[in-house]
Amino acid sequence: MEKLKMFKQGILEELPLQLGVFPFGIVYGVMAIEGGLNFLQSFLLSSIIFGGASQIVFIQLISSFTPAGIIISSVGAINSRHFLYGMSIMPYLRELSLTWRVVLAYLLTDEAYAISIKKFTNDPNNSFLHYHLLGTGITLFITWQISTLTGILLGKHLPEFIDLQFIIPLTFIAIVMPMISSISILMAALSSGFSALIFNNLDLNLWIILSALIGLIVGIATSRFDK
Amino acid sequence: MTMWIIIILCGAITFLIRFIPLSGLLPNELPTSINKSLKYIPIVILIPMIINSLSIVEGTEVYLFNNYKLYAALIAVIATIFFKNVFATIMIGMFSFIFMSNFL
Repeated sequence: MEKLKMFKQGILEELPLQLGVFPFGIVYGVMAIEGGLNFLQSFLLSSIIFGGASQIVFIQLISSFTPAGIIISSVGAINSRHFLYGMSIMPYLRELSLTWRVVLAYLLTDEAYAISIKKFTNDPNNSFLHYHLLGTGITLFITWQISTLTGILLGKHLPEFIDLQFIIPLTFIAIVMPMISSISILMAALSSGFSALIFNNLDLNLWIILSALIGLIVGIATSRFDK
Repeated sequence: MTMWIIIILCGAITFLIRFIPLSGLLPNELPTSINKSLKYIPIVILIPMIINSLSIVEGTEVYLFNNYKLYAALIAVIATIFFKNVFATIMIGMFSFIFMSNFL
C-alpha cells in the first residue's frame, strides 16, 4: 500500500512540470524531421537517449555532418550532469537490486530528479523512496514519448516561412541561462562563446571541442572568485 | 545503418553516465576536482552551439549589424530571465526573429 502511495505521489508531483516538457518534446519532434531523421529514428531517439537537450544537440550535429566521435562525446558531455544526480541519490538506493537500479538509472532525468530529490531529503528513512522516483520517471517518459510523436507528426505541416533551425539556439538559451549561477560559470560561458567565434572555421566541427575545453579551463581557473 | 549505430552509441553513453553512480562500483564521494568541473560541462558545450547558430562569423566576415538571429537571441535571453520557461523563450525569440525578418 505504501509502495502505491509513493508511486502515486511521484506521478502527482511530477505532473505540473509536464506543462514545460510537452512543448519541448514537440520542438524536438519538429527539429528531428527537419534535421533529416526519418520517422522511426526521430521517435526511437526519445527512448534510446531519453534526454531533451542532448537529443537536440544530436540533431544539430548530425544535420551539419559532424564526425560520429564528436556527436557521441557531445551528447555524453551534455548528459554529464546526470552523473552528479546519480551520486546524490545513490545513498538512498544502495540496498536495491540491480534491476531496480538499472530501471531508475534509465529514468534519471532533470525533471524526475528535481522532484524526487526533495522527497528523498525530506523523508530519508522511508523504505519505498524508489517508488517515488519510478513515478516521476515514468510520468516524464510517457509525456516525452507522446510530445515527441506530436512534434514529428506536426513537423511536416508547419508553414515554410518559419526558420525551424532557429528553434535550436532558442531552446539552448532557455536551458543554459538558469544554469549561470556564479561568476566562474559566467566566465566559462563567455570564454567558450568567444572561442566559438574565433575557431568557427575549423574543419570537422572541432570548434565545439576546442571552445568547450577553453571554457572549462577558464571556469575552473576563476572558481576561486565564487562566493 | 551508420545513423543507427551513432544513435545506439549515444544511448549507451547516456545510460552509462546515469547508471555508473548507481552501480555501486564508485566510492561515496567523488574527488572535488571532478565534482567542480562537471558543473561547467553542459554550459561550455551549449554556449558555443548557440553562438555558432547565430551566423555571427561566416568565413572571414563578421555580421553584427542587421543580424536578426543575433538580435532575436538577445531578446530570448531577456525573455528567459523574466519567464524562466522554455516554451515562452522559444515563442518570444521566434516571433521577434520573424517580425524583424519580415518588417525591418
